[in-house]
Amino acid sequence: MPILINEDLCVKGCTLCDQFCPGDIIYRLDPQKTPVIKYEEECWYCGSCEEYCPTDAVKIVFPQEMLHSQTQAESLFGKPPKNTDEAPSKV
Amino acid sequence: MQTIDTDVLVIGGGVAGCLAAIGAREMNARVAVVDKGGLLERCGSIAAGVDQILAVAEDGPEWDTPEYLLRHVPKLTDSIVDMKPVETFVRGLPAMLRKLEKMGVPFKDPSTGKYFRHRTFGLPGEYHIDFDGSKFKPKISRAVLDSNAQIFLRTMGVNFLIRKDQPVGASVFHIRTGEFYFFRAKAIVLATGDTNRLSRNSSGLAFDSWHCPYNTGDAQAMAARHGALLANMEFTENTITPKGISSQGTNSLTGLGAHFINAKGERFMLKYDAAGERARRDILTSAIISETLASNAPIYCDCRHLPADILERLEETLGVDRPSLPRWFKEKGIDLKREPFEVTVSEFSSRRGGVYFRGSGILIDDKTATNIAGLFAAGDCCTVSGGISGAAVMGYEAGKQAALFAGRNGVEESLQDQEIEAEQERLFYPCCNAKGISPRDYENKVRQIVTDYVGYQRTEDKLCTAIEELRALAAEESLLRARDYHELMRVHEARNIREVAEMVATAALERRESRGSYSHFRADFPRRDDANWRKMIVLKKHDAGYAVDYRSIELQNATLEATNAHID
Repeated sequence: MPILINEDLCVKGCTLCDQFCPGDIIYRLDPQKTPVIKYEEECWYCGSCEEYCPTDAVKIVFPQEMLHSQTQAESLFGKPPKNTDEAPSKV
Repeated sequence: MQTIDTDVLVIGGGVAGCLAAIGAREMNARVAVVDKGGLLERCGSIAAGVDQILAVAEDGPEWDTPEYLLRHVPKLTDSIVDMKPVETFVRGLPAMLRKLEKMGVPFKDPSTGKYFRHRTFGLPGEYHIDFDGSKFKPKISRAVLDSNAQIFLRTMGVNFLIRKDQPVGASVFHIRTGEFYFFRAKAIVLATGDTNRLSRNSSGLAFDSWHCPYNTGDAQAMAARHGALLANMEFTENTITPKGISSQGTNSLTGLGAHFINAKGERFMLKYDAAGERARRDILTSAIISETLASNAPIYCDCRHLPADILERLEETLGVDRPSLPRWFKEKGIDLKREPFEVTVSEFSSRRGGVYFRGSGILIDDKTATNIAGLFAAGDCCTVSGGISGAAVMGYEAGKQAALFAGRNGVEESLQDQEIEAEQERLFYPCCNAKGISPRDYENKVRQIVTDYVGYQRTEDKLCTAIEELRALAAEESLLRARDYHELMRVHEARNIREVAEMVATAALERRESRGSYSHFRADFPRRDDANWRKMIVLKKHDAGYAVDYRSIELQNATLEATNAHID
């Protein structure tokens, strides 16, 4: 879960996290109940919810993929082209 | 279903959309703004904040004038630039800075009462003002609300309708309730920003993106489907991010003097550009890609040599773009004073190819008009892109022009009920595909194709494969499913991302040269070829793909190879 809500600190009636989330991830349709993290895999990890929570009840939790990325950078740069080892010439 | 009448409809409530609303309201037009976000104060790319603005303040120095900056634009854009609309942008900068200050944006450093300016991105002067931008968007949103524009939040614009060659309205739905709105409008401003979630990144999480992942090329795709022209789509951009979190933030580090070092401990940037780490963004990312492909990874960002007061300032501003970034450093246990941290290159974004002034998107003229009468575009979705000040100047212009058009040429078309109902069916079709393809699976396929076959080492073979596979995915659009209205939004976003990916691949296949380092690098045409390719590539959608055309570059008011100003 990318976003943890501390139920003891969360103030009933407040819907700031729901409104501030740019991705429509956090829902507090009933302001008396704890907010629901409805679409967790769509979180930007921007931290707006945590930053603007008036009672510090929200905490962003970074997943392992972000804290200990194992991705080989080369795999992000595309399949190697055939028969060439050129790099961009200096502009 | 609700039908709403307005003069000017603004799709997108970020910086460009807000200034468009303000511009149109100043002309007394009726204005409606729609945005997917939940709060106007936090809609758009800089929803989480911003830490610098490109500014011309006419504050004394020789370089601090529009004329001086304009002379350097061709060089800064590798000569692929549309100077007429760029003039509108650059000449509008001093007045816009003052307009934004009047709205209450604190550009001046409260401790000195002056602008804190610095040189970055290869610009020929200290054009960037560092400021606390956490209140930037709330301040301009307040001005929009005070202007009495109508605001529709958590609503997504999906399509517009054209009658007699001009837009007469647009289809919009509420992403939570599913309510369908049809806006009858006399003019439309498109301002939905750039396109993200296009390719893979180091965390492997699609929504962990450098730019706002909820900006998905909605305007570009919508406009393309109606025959609007788009240009510069081959140029993609990326940035340097700490490995594992696709966050901007290293911009301010390098702007204030941080170095990049490779696995051998070498400071390598000076091999690539005389400006070193203060070079243009695309040169920085290209150097890191080159070093990585030359087996010199891991690459690190090193701040250890920086004076304590600068480091303090860095740590204060680190979280302004993305408030979670300082926490990420803390959880990884990185102390900037003591150790370098690993960096890599982000996923790519379709925005402006890493250079100010040339956007990849909807082709606009000096009045922000597209080739469709009554349709205007501003901000990162169009061919003039320049950060928040570009969005502000051009958005404001678009709002004024749209209001003028609505007053002079706007028609109030009476649409038949069945036309609007048909539109509603086209929008909601995924809600009937209970067992269809999930938008996430669909998007993952797009990202894999773009990463593998568009990528940074482009060739004809690979790009043809990309186009073929992306078109095959287009045929599956009708099978996409939405289990709720939030997912319906993701379906339309996935369709738009695929559409933009096809445009990127098509334009990249056409440009048989390399330009702008890795923003468009053709391994099969590795050299820049000014004799044949100093022109813009313009796309127009037809039934089976995109027709390609060119636009020549006019550089009357600027020297082509402006001398590089002294770089410190």
